[in-house]
Parts: sequence; C-alpha cells; structure tokens
Amino acid sequence: MTLRADHVAGGAFVVFGILIIALSGDLPAGQLSMPGSGFLPKIVAVLTIILGLALIVRASESPTFATIAWSDGAHAALVTVIAVVATALYTKLGFLITMASMMIALLIVVERRKPLHALAYSAAVVLATYAVFVYVLKTPLPSSPFTY
Amino acid sequence: MEATLLSLAHGFSVALQPDNLWYAFLGCLVGTLVGVLPGIGPLSGISILLPVTFGLNATQAVIMLAGIYYGSQYGGSTTSILMRIPGEAASVITCIDGNAMARRGRAGAALCIAAVGSFVAGTFGLLMLTVIAPPLATIALRFGPPEYTALLVLGLIFLAYMSSTSLVRTLLMACLGLVFGMIGIDNMTGHFRYSFDLAELGDGIGIVPVAVGLFGLGEILATPSKHVTGEVISPKFREMLPTRQEWREAIWPIGRGSLLGFLIGIIPGSAHIISSFLSYALEKRISKHPEKFGKGAVAGVAGPESANNGASTGAFVPMLSLGIPTGPITAVLIGALMIHGVPAGPQLVSDHRDLFWGFVASMYVGNVMLLALNLPMVGLFVSVLRIPYAYLYPLIIMFCIVGVYEVNHSIVDVWIMLIMGLIGYALRKFSFDPAPLVLGLVIAPIFEQSLRQSLIMSNGNYFIFFDRPIALGLMLVCAILLGLSALSFVLKRKDWRDRLAKVEAGEG
Repeated sequence: MTLRADHVAGGAFVVFGILIIALSGDLPAGQLSMPGSGFLPKIVAVLTIILGLALIVRASESPTFATIAWSDGAHAALVTVIAVVATALYTKLGFLITMASMMIALLIVVERRKPLHALAYSAAVVLATYAVFVYVLKTPLPSSPFTY
Repeated sequence: MEATLLSLAHGFSVALQPDNLWYAFLGCLVGTLVGVLPGIGPLSGISILLPVTFGLNATQAVIMLAGIYYGSQYGGSTTSILMRIPGEAASVITCIDGNAMARRGRAGAALCIAAVGSFVAGTFGLLMLTVIAPPLATIALRFGPPEYTALLVLGLIFLAYMSSTSLVRTLLMACLGLVFGMIGIDNMTGHFRYSFDLAELGDGIGIVPVAVGLFGLGEILATPSKHVTGEVISPKFREMLPTRQEWREAIWPIGRGSLLGFLIGIIPGSAHIISSFLSYALEKRISKHPEKFGKGAVAGVAGPESANNGASTGAFVPMLSLGIPTGPITAVLIGALMIHGVPAGPQLVSDHRDLFWGFVASMYVGNVMLLALNLPMVGLFVSVLRIPYAYLYPLIIMFCIVGVYEVNHSIVDVWIMLIMGLIGYALRKFSFDPAPLVLGLVIAPIFEQSLRQSLIMSNGNYFIFFDRPIALGLMLVCAILLGLSALSFVLKRKDWRDRLAKVEAGEG
C-alpha cells in the first residue's frame, strides 16, 4: 500500500481525538438535562476521530506522502529556531537587544546578506519600532537588564 | 427609514471627528499596504496590528481595523495586475485578466477599473448594510439559545459547503478550532480544561496568537525568499484613465459584481474569495466574447474586484447585527470589540449607537479615501513592492512577536503563536485551509454555552431545536446543505468549488 498524505493527516487527527478523550477523563460529561464541562469536548473529540478515519478511507484521492515538497523545510526550521530563541530571551534581554539580534540572525544566517547591511537595517528598523511603540503609542516594551 | 437616516447622520458626526478620520485614513493606508504586499493577508495584517489599537477607544479601534480589512481588498488588486502575484487570496482571479491587460500596456486602466469597481461595490454594500443591519438586529433580539445553536451549526456547515477544500477537511479544521476554543475555565462549572497547570491558559487561547501564528508566521515559514520573485510593471500616470469603450465594458460587471458580492458576503465562509471566483465565472458565461477572458478582458477585472469588495462589506451584516462571524476576519474584529468591552450582536445597535453608526459612516468615508488613495499613489505602492522579501519577513516576524506579546504581556501567548505557526505550516503541506479553525475557536464558547443552555431548558430533549420555528428553519437549511454535499460526493461532480481550488492552487 502506498502511503498517502491523507493517511498521515487522518492518522494524526485520530491520535489527536484519542488524546483529547484521554485528557478529558476527569471532566464530568454530566447528563443530557445538565451537560457537564466534558460534554462538548468529548463529542468534538469523537467527531474528530470519525472525520480523521473518513480522511484515511478517502486517502486514495490525495497525493502520495513522498510527493509533498519539503524544499522550504530548511528555511522553516532555521526561522523557527531563531524565533524560538528570540522568544525565550525576549522578557530577559528586552525588546531592543532581542529583536535586533533576531533580525541580524535572520538576515545573515538565513538570507546570507552582508553583515554590515544586516546590522544597519536591523538597528534602524528596531529603533524606529521602539520609538513608535514607546513614544507614539505609549505602549511599554520589555526593557533590557542593562537599562536603569 | 427616517430613523435610519437620522442615525446615519449621527454616525457621520462621529466618523467626521478629526481623530476618527485619522484612524480611518490610517486603517485604509495600512490595509492597502497589507493588500499590496504578497504574503500578508488582511487576516494576518489585522491580527498583527490589533494590539496597536489597545490605546484607542472601541470606536477608533474598530474603524481602523475595518479600514485595514476593506483597504486590503483594494490593495490586493495592485500586485495581481502589476506582478501577477495576488496580494491576498481574493485577488487570485484578478491576476488572469488584470495582468494580461497590464502586458497590453493597459495597467493604469486595469488599476483604475479595479479601484472604481471596488468603490462602487463598497458603497453599494454599505447602503445595503445601513438598511438591513438594524432590522435584523431587532429580529435577533428574539433569538434564544436554541436559535443561536442552530445558527452556529448552520454557519459551520455553510462554511464547509462553500469551502474549496473538502467537507471532511473543513469540518476537521472546525473541530480543531472548537477544541482549542474549549481550553481554559468552563464558564458554567468552573472546571479547568486542558490548561496543564498554566495559569495563563485559564482564560483560554486568545484569537490573536492563533490567527497571527497560523496566517502570519505559517505563511512566512512556507515562503522562502528565493521563491518570491516578480517583475513589476510600472503604470504611467497618463495611462490611468480607461477609454470610453473600457468603461462601457466595465459598468455592468461592476453592477453585477457588487450585488453578487454583497449577497455572498452575508453567507458564512471565505466569502470575499468565493465571490470573486463566482463573479468571474458569471461574467465569462454571459459574455458575448468569452474567448477574450484570460487575454485581458475588462469584465474579468471589473466583476471580481467589485465582488470581493461587496462581499467584505456584506460580511459586516451578520457580524454587526447578530454577533456571528462569517469568517476568520470578522471573527478577529469581534475579538477586537470584546477586548474593548463591547459585545458584538444585536445590543450593539441599541446600546452602542455611537460605535455602530460611527463605524458604518466611517466606511462611507473610508471608501472615498481609498479611491483617492489608490489611484494617485499607485507609484508609491509599486515602490513598496520593490523591497526585497528577504528584508521584509524578519520585520513581520518581529511585529508578530511584539504584537502578540503586547495583547496580555504574556510570553505564553508568543509560545502559542510559534506553535500555531508550525501547525499552520504543516496544514499548508497537507492542503488544509486553516480559516475554519479560527472560526471554530471564536464560536466555541458561544456554541458550547448555547448548546448546554438549550439542553437544560428542554430537560435534555434534542427536539428543542426542531420545536421552535426559527431553529427548525435553520436546521432544515443545514440538512439541505449536508444532503447537497453528500450528493456531490456520491456523484463525484466537478463543480465550481473544484475549479476554485485549482485557481487557488495556481493551476487556473
């Protein structure tokens, strides 16, 4: 049997539905006359499993799993890693340092731009954004530990 | 009618205040840029900029966000015509004849026809909105939990029926959205659900991190900069005015597109996308020269561009009068109103007259602004298109992180946005449309509450949905739509939705 995209997608939804039912174990479903907090989640989880199975049954209409193009995978992975690091540091290092570093990393590591261009562009954009948020919109942004 | 006109006059007195005019202009300008830039759709644009409106009052916030929405419909045509890259999904169909006109040296005329068509359709939609929304809100005040449950079920089924992906895929996305929408404290019992001991999840998952993640970050992850290339055709100012023959060819498609777009806009689903496709199909079918379509037919630009603007205005009817989102964009706008402490729905018309009528009047003003903005400033927008995408998307990621964080000053929201970005990327790979997920997320609390209240009212009897005339009528429409979908599945009929899917996939 050829593995198709909808086999994988349908399987993922079935697993997700089962997971929801497992996580809903301690939520009372109640009765029809007084539905509890687990009532709708369990119905939706069962529906998700049924629809996931329907997707698997009709998987022959979908392309094979091997034909899904992952050429953008490296780009997506790099961007994700940089964004994850920036998120982890955002409240610790503050807006200016974190965002400038993230943009420089994206431009140099992912886009292979000249470091000087990346540095100038990132600094200008981050400072302008900081000014707009803090001075025009009066919205505080996370500050760096070096700011007093 | 007299009361409506008086209320509208009051609305203009609100909309024409300098502050409100400024925010309408800002919304229109940003919306046009959002529409012009490939990769940022109106949904991600509104979601990313939602936190910027926190310092404004509710009227200013909704005026600005709505300006972004209908402004993006105007701007979306620019890249379609000049680059054959749709700025946003509703402009996909404009690529075909719009770009063909540009290649014949009629880029300016195509842009002018698209802008005038958008203006006419937007204004027509507003007239209809002014007339229809208040009486509809009065009727909606009679809705009880069973009617709301039936209406929301109908909304989900209609979305599935109209969607270009299959019924199963759309319902799966809606289920996923409903599950996400049930995270947090259960309003009726106080139980914590799926919060994994994270206090931040007690209030549930916000619409902003989900929408920004799925549509903003998800799109960026799936779009490496080397894939974004395009030659920009620069129109000359003296070529901006269409010839008399081109106007003649555009008038009726604009009229038909306006009406068709508005009617489809009221129906749940990605109405502005569907309406442009249906308008194109209609124009081609009734044209005396169908062979011209695809080679620069004026009707192929005028009809779809009018239809998608008519639809975006039509979508405000159920949003403002019933509090029901017809799509993810109106769902985010409802979320914006809720953040400002204003409940969308029938009470909006009666309890928040300034906001409702000010908002309606501001859209009339916004339409005039957009017409004035789009034609003379096309050169500026063309220059924006020349900014390399490699420099643009790091900026967008920064705005995604800052925007999401600023909503609640919660880093958990940013993590949710990153997870949603990865989910959005995976969904694209497996050909799922994430829009129903956002809709499911927004309606989950209303749906759950009205369903449970209905069952409590009837002592557990499901017949409550068939006993009451309005609920019964809505349920019958649901049954008909499900029957039609099943029939289409059994007969394997190729209809307009298959063709729409092909066009959206770039095969058209």
